[in-house]
Amino acid sequence: MLCAVGVPIWAASAAEQSSASAMIQATVDEVLVILKDPTLDVATRRSRLEQLASSHFHFETVSKYVVTRYWKSFSDAEKAEFIEVFKIFLSRTYGDRIERYQDEKVKILGERREGRADVVVMTRIVGGTYDDAEVNYRLREIDGVWRVIDVKIEGISLVMNYRDQFKSFLSRGGAAALLEALRKKNAEPRPPA
Amino acid sequence: MIRRRIGSRAGVLALALVCTVSTTALGQEDDDEFYLDGAGAGTEVSDPFESFNRGIFCVNDCLDMCFLEPLADTWDFFVPDVAQRSLRRAFDNLRFPVVFLNDLLQGKPKAAGVDLTRFLVNTTAGVGGLMDPAQDWFDLEKHNEDFGQTLGYWGVPPGPYLMLPILGPSNLRDGIGSAVDAVTGVIAWFVPFAVTASLAGTDTLNRRSLVGDQISQERAAALDWYAAVRSAYSQYRENLIQDDAAAVDQESPFITPEAP
Repeated sequence: MLCAVGVPIWAASAAEQSSASAMIQATVDEVLVILKDPTLDVATRRSRLEQLASSHFHFETVSKYVVTRYWKSFSDAEKAEFIEVFKIFLSRTYGDRIERYQDEKVKILGERREGRADVVVMTRIVGGTYDDAEVNYRLREIDGVWRVIDVKIEGISLVMNYRDQFKSFLSRGGAAALLEALRKKNAEPRPPA
Repeated sequence: MIRRRIGSRAGVLALALVCTVSTTALGQEDDDEFYLDGAGAGTEVSDPFESFNRGIFCVNDCLDMCFLEPLADTWDFFVPDVAQRSLRRAFDNLRFPVVFLNDLLQGKPKAAGVDLTRFLVNTTAGVGGLMDPAQDWFDLEKHNEDFGQTLGYWGVPPGPYLMLPILGPSNLRDGIGSAVDAVTGVIAWFVPFAVTASLAGTDTLNRRSLVGDQISQERAAALDWYAAVRSAYSQYRENLIQDDAAAVDQESPFITPEAP
């Protein structure tokens, strides 16, 4: 359905890239194709981007790292619900942001290895509001597929930031308190674009 | 080519916290699986004055919403984006003495040389730093250094997180750093306080204008806005300090696959 075609993105040399970088590059291409398609209405664009995110992020791993040690106190139902509401929460947060696309380009700088055979793919945004921002994707090979498990923007990790935000809810009221806060947040009307 | 470099570091404080919790309910050996960078890694920020900090944060946040943001919006209305960016470059250029000094204090003579050249080129050919020919013509990347980073570079821990009135998020180390930066900024030695103050005011207004409504957006999106800012500030500073720790290998930026 979606195809990665000639969107201006450049990297050192496609031949040198590992499969992790290639995956990021292909995904960025796909995102740009969706964002640049004038025939898509907001809802369709959203759902396509969400689909893309679902297939490339490993939300279960992201959730586990965000919740950290409290994860064990979650029942299976609570785990499943958390993954779902957290996904919606992220989609609302980043969906609004990505709508402000202004013809930015993404340059893949390189990659480095981290613990547990993870690979960090380093990219930089060129142009637009976030010009020159460094965005690093941490990927892990899960069931033979590279999946994103964290994103760092200018050194600020998404996982770490939500871990810090959720901590007070978890220490006060465990899974129930956090789930309720997230559900409430998701029910808020979206701010005008 | 590579402007800033990203590094990651295990938070020692987190380890302490994890250990205390794990002795009660969880087996310590299992904690590792919940942290990205190995055992207990994470940036658990020390915030012993949290309730006090939250109070100051609330006031700062209100000041931003009620005064700074509307002022910045007005600024944004009259001053074109290109001019705002030029102005920001000029203010960055004025920070030269601080950056240069801290390049040297961190034992980075090459960076100091680059920053000195940048200052000389941009102040003259770049019309007081409004333009950046050093970057555009000679590919000289600017550095972001200050005394807080120098302390961090030499191993000084951040200490307790501090929310400073008006000045915003900081910590003990960076607070001391900012005070030293104010003294070593040189410009303040030669111009009256009123000039320094209005320059700082203009700089703040201009930068706030460039940030635009990103702050109100973040505020609306956050579940715990105070914790979000605390986390972002701490990680951002840590990242600035670690900027040379890990780097993209310019010769071979991608990992070479292992031989079969």
